[in-house]
Amino acid sequence: MPDDQRLMERAVNAERTKIAARGVQVHYGQTHALKDVDVDILDHAVTAFIGPSGCGKSTFLRCLNRMNDTISTCRVTGDIRLDGDDIYDRGIDPVQLRAKVGMVFQKPNPFPKSIYDNVAYGPRIHGLARTKADLDGIVESSLRRAALWNEVKDRLASPGTGLSGGQQQRLCIARAVATSPEVLLMDEPCSALDPIATAQVEELIDELRANFSVVIVTHSMQQAARVSQRTAFFHLGHLVEYGDTTQIFTKPKDPRTESYITGRIG
Amino acid sequence: MTDFSSRQTRFDWSSRAYQDLIRRRRRSETYLRGAGLASIILAVSFLGLMLAALFSTGYKAFTQTHVTIDVPISAEHVDSADIFGSNWRRVMQDAVAGHFPDLEGRALRAAGEILSNGAQFMVRDRVVEAPEMIGSTLSITVPVSDPFDQLSKGLVDRQTEEANRRVTDAQIAAFDKLAQEGRISAPFNWGMFANVDSRFPELAGLKGAFIGTGYLLLVCFAIALPVGIGAAIYLEEFAPRNRFSDFIEVNINNLAAVPSVVFGLLALSVFLNWFGLPRGAPFVGGLTIALMSLPTIIIATRASLKAVPPSIREAALGVGASRQQVVFHHVLPLAMPGIMTGTILAMANAIGETAPLLLIGMNAFITAAPATPFDSATTLPTQIFIWADSPERGFVSRTSAAILVLLAILVVMNALAIYLRRRFERKW
Repeated sequence: MPDDQRLMERAVNAERTKIAARGVQVHYGQTHALKDVDVDILDHAVTAFIGPSGCGKSTFLRCLNRMNDTISTCRVTGDIRLDGDDIYDRGIDPVQLRAKVGMVFQKPNPFPKSIYDNVAYGPRIHGLARTKADLDGIVESSLRRAALWNEVKDRLASPGTGLSGGQQQRLCIARAVATSPEVLLMDEPCSALDPIATAQVEELIDELRANFSVVIVTHSMQQAARVSQRTAFFHLGHLVEYGDTTQIFTKPKDPRTESYITGRIG
Repeated sequence: MTDFSSRQTRFDWSSRAYQDLIRRRRRSETYLRGAGLASIILAVSFLGLMLAALFSTGYKAFTQTHVTIDVPISAEHVDSADIFGSNWRRVMQDAVAGHFPDLEGRALRAAGEILSNGAQFMVRDRVVEAPEMIGSTLSITVPVSDPFDQLSKGLVDRQTEEANRRVTDAQIAAFDKLAQEGRISAPFNWGMFANVDSRFPELAGLKGAFIGTGYLLLVCFAIALPVGIGAAIYLEEFAPRNRFSDFIEVNINNLAAVPSVVFGLLALSVFLNWFGLPRGAPFVGGLTIALMSLPTIIIATRASLKAVPPSIREAALGVGASRQQVVFHHVLPLAMPGIMTGTILAMANAIGETAPLLLIGMNAFITAAPATPFDSATTLPTQIFIWADSPERGFVSRTSAAILVLLAILVVMNALAIYLRRRFERKW
């Protein structure tokens, strides 16, 4: 039945692999921080990395846009492919890669510039806008995507550092989406926010799934359960278990995962 | 568990031993505070002592005794065809004779010594400007010569035996006569800022030193700032961390501690003897001081680059900025107030630098302000050095006054540095 088959294909397309990591090892000097990690991150899905502190989840996240390159002692081996291209290939410019793989950090870190300039910075340096009107459009749509437009549209010229913590984090998300990335990496984006701001950002993450592949590192298992479709559990540098979020939280296969989600280790 | 908590409750907070501990702790805190206060008082009183000493000798140099005389510009001595080359000495002699009709010969000449040696040139310049004056009488206020300036300021003891003072009884009488006629005045000493150096204290000023210092700072700033910031950016943001960069870092710190006279010797052998640059020129002085300021600027710049939080770098890298863009778009603008503060402090140090400038000949006696950075000149500290070395009494107070001027400039520069830091510093 050709019709059915096409439906199947579409479903596969929607869950297409965006990033494929194979045998990733990370060393910080003598420390072996990440051991043999294999992960397939899906497009248009939210993938959560959970695990106790120091388990390597942030380290792995930072491999995905080569932020670890800035640490001189860090050595990454293995194979990470974005849409089939090896991102650690010599021909890949990490600067371009980071425009395609946006990142939101743990602590809101807006530039000490105006709200407008914060969002416009990425498009400017990558030459994404030809005219001022183009740039205005990008800034507005990015702020709208980050659910911040209505709050700041009348004060785009005021400094981004003057916003509240939750607004700052949403500004950082707007800044990250302004370069139209394909993947959005979020390193504990809500850990510095109050519960209301957290709820807003979580809602936002769910909306962003429509356009991006989102990877989120979180300490909160409730948050992982709420926002993600896929969950990976890291422990002591190993990827212990990776699967559908519901499966991980209801029927974990590995005893270590079960211990962690029930609060016995961590 | 229970054992532990019961031991906790058993601790006696009112026990003797505990009270003693508290008392000892308070006492040592009081001692520390007292010691800190004492050292501050000591430091401030030394500073006060220094300023008091400078003010007490220097304040007199901020006024200069002048005398108003009537100078007949007779056509007999002043040639309207060659006003500049006329016999101005004779003109002044006539003027003095006019004021002291009862003096003659040697006594008249002695009275003439009241006028500064520069008086005839002031009269000349006025007449050159307005030649129609020839044939009439010019009433002009000119500085008195140094001994009479001292006399007027009370620095010459009239009770001293005549042979032991620089002015004779007859000269004092002549001076007092002028004073009685109300011809002696003591206005603010503008000449100290507007005149160039001179052998005569009453004519000597700091103009040449100001311009020399200005050129020197300009050259120093133009070289040390870009090189220093460039070196600091490379070391802090781009250089790989290895033995070589450690070696460079240690040496930069060492360079900051090298005595300044060594830089003078270096400049003498390299800039003057090898490159053949002009002796005593502010350009060479600026190069030398730039070498000395470099370590300070590099260290200050690196410190302010380090102070920019890593989250800003990560944010910029995260949106795909290159390392160069991270530095020039984000880190450097944020570090700029700190860099400017460091640079201004380095420049303030440079202003006061003397030893290396002596070695490259910036302590020459120069009676013309430099027109370019390549002309010989003095700077404020070397001018102070020259004046402090001069035998004329008038230079004693002028030395102190020049030091006060230098200090005032330093205070202004440091205040500017503090203002910039307060104005632009960011809290994270």
